[in-house]
Amino acid sequence: MRYFQTVLNACADIGKGLWITLRTMVKPAITVQYPDEKLVPYPGFRGVLLYDAEICISCSLCVKACPSECIQLESRKNEAGKRVPKVSWYSLDVGKCNFCRLCEEACPTKPKAVWHSRDFEAVFSSREEMVRYWRKGTEYPGQWYDPVTRTYKPVAGQVSLQTVPERILY
Amino acid sequence: MTPAPLRTDQLFVNLGPQHPSTHGVLRVGLTLEGEVIMRAEPDIGYLHRGTEKLSEIRGWNQLVALSDRWDYCNAMGNNLAYCLAAEKLLTVEVPERAQHLRAVMCELNRIASHLIFFGTFGIDIGAFTPFLHAFREREMLLDLFESCTGARLTYNYIRIGGVMRDLPKGWPDLCREFLEFFKPRLQEYDTLLSFNPIFLDRTKTVGHISRESALNWGVSGPNLRASGVKADVRKLDPYCLYAKYDFEIPVGKTGCCWDRYYCRMLEIKESVRIVEQALGLLADGPVMAKGVAKILKPAPGESYGHVEAARGDLGVHLISDGNTAPYRLHVRAPSFMNLQILQELLVGQRMSDVIAILGSIDIVLGEVDR
Ligand code: SF4
Ligand code: SF4
Repeated sequence: MRYFQTVLNACADIGKGLWITLRTMVKPAITVQYPDEKLVPYPGFRGVLLYDAEICISCSLCVKACPSECIQLESRKNEAGKRVPKVSWYSLDVGKCNFCRLCEEACPTKPKAVWHSRDFEAVFSSREEMVRYWRKGTEYPGQWYDPVTRTYKPVAGQVSLQTVPERILY
Repeated sequence: MTPAPLRTDQLFVNLGPQHPSTHGVLRVGLTLEGEVIMRAEPDIGYLHRGTEKLSEIRGWNQLVALSDRWDYCNAMGNNLAYCLAAEKLLTVEVPERAQHLRAVMCELNRIASHLIFFGTFGIDIGAFTPFLHAFREREMLLDLFESCTGARLTYNYIRIGGVMRDLPKGWPDLCREFLEFFKPRLQEYDTLLSFNPIFLDRTKTVGHISRESALNWGVSGPNLRASGVKADVRKLDPYCLYAKYDFEIPVGKTGCCWDRYYCRMLEIKESVRIVEQALGLLADGPVMAKGVAKILKPAPGESYGHVEAARGDLGVHLISDGNTAPYRLHVRAPSFMNLQILQELLVGQRMSDVIAILGSIDIVLGEVDR
């Protein structure tokens, strides 16, 4: 008798669990079909770093602020051999970067010469690709940034689901 | 003719380092006699990144970013433990709003961390559905973190002297909305997993830690409280403004796996209460103390700060010799301490219960190895 009681109780409890599963099943999915739909990150998202050589005054504060030593730069020199506040090259190793925003906070220019974009799709196939150089002719402006107008392009093919009610949907 | 006596050999089994249930890279060397475990040797160090040594050449401000990586499921707690220790050295006074924000973030992070435990413990036992439910809620929490700090896992939010930046507009309302959504989910979790008879059978009878051995092994956090010891740094040595909040410390009775599990579930409820109170007490004001330099040089001395992180009593011991980097940084990592009890706990248990016990201790290998 007790044996059957136990079996019955177990079945009842499994039923309760399954009921929750069933209830959730008929609700709309909360997942996003990634390559086709993408979530737009929030403003202030710490994505892949961008850099603007026109604004930079080559002060090296970002180099000193970085905890993983991924920034390197060299100042430009004029004919007399004196340093001018412009970089001759600037390199940033995205592979070492831990996306902490310390460099952006340290940067004294306005707008910031180095800053986090909202680009989260940094895919590389080799280590060399991870190092991004900014040098005349080899600028890497990032996927959505337009260096001419200094604005972000509208990001194509993304959905925005960011508030809690939107995400819950029930 | 009498049959020859059965000859039994002890069997050595490697659990890990790539086992899905070890939550990282942990190897446990098990010596078995039939199904019963005779010896268990946790072998750690696979995830060692040398952050303690690295701290000796990095600046004081930069170490917050490194501290994120100790216990990556509970990065806010790590930030806070380090900042508390550094602030003691620098004698910085943290503004009130920042104190409340720290408490809010730490408690939300505790919820997120316990949700991972809830989900993965279910998987360890063989219940997959709770995992999906837990991660649905955790995703919303991470969204809250993302909108406030800009990152989803390694926040680098709590800084020496305050917090990184103020809340974005409307954040407290979003957070309250989430909490309202979240509270009924806790009951759902109880139905799904906590009081499921199969789950109870698997976890109630194994992995008992007695009060004495828990204290002797230096276990802390929910694992200690499950054995009936009412020890919580938030009450014993209140930091931030935890003395102002009204919350309970859930304790277990027998120290079995289920008690450890249920302690965490009750803790989530208390965390929700704390977040609500802290959000109510938020008053306008600065979020960063004045006069915290970019490059810090604290006076020579020592300090110790500890917090109740999601996995226990997380302490940071700092020694300064007046330089731009600490002379020594030592982390008292709760996961590391909690893991050691496995040597005693697993002996005499059956092979099939190892995963349940290992899961219930809730270790994060990033913190064990640092
Ligand atoms: S985000 Fe952090 S790690 Fe990355 S370059 Fe800036 S300071 Fe260095
Ligand atoms: S801190 Fe800003 S201005 Fe200075 S070198 Fe770095 S990017 Fe350029």
